Amino acid sequence: MSLKRSINQIAAIAKTDFLGVIRNKTAIFFTLLFPLFFIVIIGFTFGQSGEADMSRIAVGVVNLDGELVAVNATDSFNSTIGDLFVQGLESANFTVTGYGEYGDRDTNGTAAYAISRGDIDAILVIPANFTETLTFQYTDNFGVPVPIKSHLEVYVDPTDTTGALITQQSVFGFLSAFIKEYQNIAIELVIPDMKAYVEVLADPITVSVSEAEVTEAELQWIDYMVPGTLGLVLIWSGLNHASMTIATERTKGTFQRMVIAPVSPTVVLLGKLISAVTIVYMSAFIMLLSGVLLFQVNLHWNIPVMLLAIFLGALSAIGIGLIISSIAKNEEAANSISVIISVPLQFFIGAFFPLSIMPEAAQAFGNALPFTKLVNAMQDVMTRNLPFDSVIPEMLYLAASGLILFTLGTIAYRIALKRL
Amino acid sequence: MNDIEVDSVTKRFEDMVAVDNLSMSVEKGELFGLLGPNGAGKSTLTKMISGRLNPTSGTIKVGKYSIQDDPMKVKELLGVVPQDIVLYDYLNAKENLAFYGRLYGLSGKKLKDRINELLQFTQLDEKAVKRHVSTYSGGMKRRVNIAAALLHEPQVLLLDEPTAGLDPQNKHALWEIIEVLKKQGKTIVLTTHMMDEAEELCDRVAIMDHGKIIALGSPSQLVKKVKMENTITVVPDKTSPSLIEQVKSIASVKNAYAAPDENEKRETIKVITDCPDDILPDVVSTIVNTGTKVLSVQLSRVTLEDVFIMLTGRSLREE
Repeated sequence: MSLKRSINQIAAIAKTDFLGVIRNKTAIFFTLLFPLFFIVIIGFTFGQSGEADMSRIAVGVVNLDGELVAVNATDSFNSTIGDLFVQGLESANFTVTGYGEYGDRDTNGTAAYAISRGDIDAILVIPANFTETLTFQYTDNFGVPVPIKSHLEVYVDPTDTTGALITQQSVFGFLSAFIKEYQNIAIELVIPDMKAYVEVLADPITVSVSEAEVTEAELQWIDYMVPGTLGLVLIWSGLNHASMTIATERTKGTFQRMVIAPVSPTVVLLGKLISAVTIVYMSAFIMLLSGVLLFQVNLHWNIPVMLLAIFLGALSAIGIGLIISSIAKNEEAANSISVIISVPLQFFIGAFFPLSIMPEAAQAFGNALPFTKLVNAMQDVMTRNLPFDSVIPEMLYLAASGLILFTLGTIAYRIALKRL
Repeated sequence: MNDIEVDSVTKRFEDMVAVDNLSMSVEKGELFGLLGPNGAGKSTLTKMISGRLNPTSGTIKVGKYSIQDDPMKVKELLGVVPQDIVLYDYLNAKENLAFYGRLYGLSGKKLKDRINELLQFTQLDEKAVKRHVSTYSGGMKRRVNIAAALLHEPQVLLLDEPTAGLDPQNKHALWEIIEVLKKQGKTIVLTTHMMDEAEELCDRVAIMDHGKIIALGSPSQLVKKVKMENTITVVPDKTSPSLIEQVKSIASVKNAYAAPDENEKRETIKVITDCPDDILPDVVSTIVNTGTKVLSVQLSRVTLEDVFIMLTGRSLREE
């Protein structure tokens, strides 16, 4: 059979397969528009500075400072520092609601009732002797001030672990700023000769955190996320599309008609491969273009390396898709298997969460995935502006895994042909 | 000369024998019917002829090529019309035909001309062919389904239940297309379980059951095997022995006699003949010429269904 004829056949199969996606609203959404939808969600969620907005954290304050407390056998009602503390919270932009008592979850109007209903994220209980302790009002029999620490209680919502963590960190951030302010005032009152020592004792280690000179420009969250989303493109467009293509055609009978024509199985496979790779590139293009147009992502465009990495990654995705498509009995089964594999897979490629925060086994699994290598390589090239040399190990891994998985996919496809 | 030769072909699926040591041949230009109930082995046989299945044993030749040794050459000679509508419903008729044409090596002007020829041949109008196939009626889809198999002008056509599910009007339109293809000299294997289709179209019919051919011949030859006769039943307003004698004297009438109808209310005249269609007008005119009124006429013919029932003891449509 002539080469020209084979090329004509490959082009016909690729074109028909491609039209099957762009003329199918569902396929269009999941293959091309879902990545766009995703980047918009990611962009609007993380696209700006990444600073936390404290007004979203609702703190219920039970300010007992100012209530009756016995100090050196004298009644005291001082609430000066407790009030300052609450004003500080409000100035830091927390949403503050005052409560008379901690109470319990069944008593309406108490802080415990509000947090159990999700009305507030945390409860801060300021003790009755807050001002008295911080102003050294407790003395011994000789009138010498007795140092007594003040004890604040912070309660968070245990039903929302992630939210509780963020709330806790935000409240502690405010507390450390408040304590620092208190220390500065206290040190001013110390006798001059001792001031330097007290300063060191109060704050023995100073820490400065700065961004290292990794990139030339200042980066936003979205700039880190966009290269990672290319890994998701491979899973959604490459794996999902390849897993459906042959299964769908087999269910509809068009595949059977194709194989009774004088077309070699290799030609059919190449046609499908070209279509799938084109769809992956289109999907990646839409994802990147929307990042640029909607969120002005600040990335480096090493196009040849990007094209090569996406192609090598697509081979792995299409290989897995071919295996699914070949073993599935029909298109519904292929779709189900594809979802079962691809949905969990996307959490292990380092696109959503860094792999370093995962358990060791999950890290090992994630690092073995070709899609993770693609994400790493793309972050190196697009975000850190590293040259091709620095991503050669990832590219070799992508090439090897692409070759292995695509070969396995081809074997599965050949076996499926015999079952027609 | 034979265009298809099937020699001692067996196809086993694990313990099940779908086609059992079957031999047959189809002559060039012949319209050959494969008749049988579901599970008889018709589809397995046509799948083996088209190269979708390999025989467990035996050989199949299409033209001068063996399907086992030269599958690509056989595929060039064959046009296969599957039973199901096998088209891309998101493409229009022209796009579907262009796709299948390119699979068979057609391109450029030749492909375009061939598509236009076939759209005319299958009587698909210009407006309709621009719409996606998903919007077509069943008859239109069937016609595109057939056109897709004709693009490369194959010498041998395998038609698998081509009129399944069609209304009588569309069914007859497709029969006309099949007859034109036969006149063009195509060799056609028609798989069907419609008696009228096989009788109307086929030169020879093979009746299959349990993977074997249990009867083979022209429809009329097969019908003759049945010990039943074609009967014309005439209901006149009156009968008489002389009237019966006059009917008996008509050429090709083997016998005629008076008999009560099913309800035993009227006398009828039963006319036994080998060619009921030919003599029906003579029978009616002979009776009318005696001054007798003809109230109704019924023609009972022996069909391939009767042949199948005689051979297997069950109906073709029984599972």
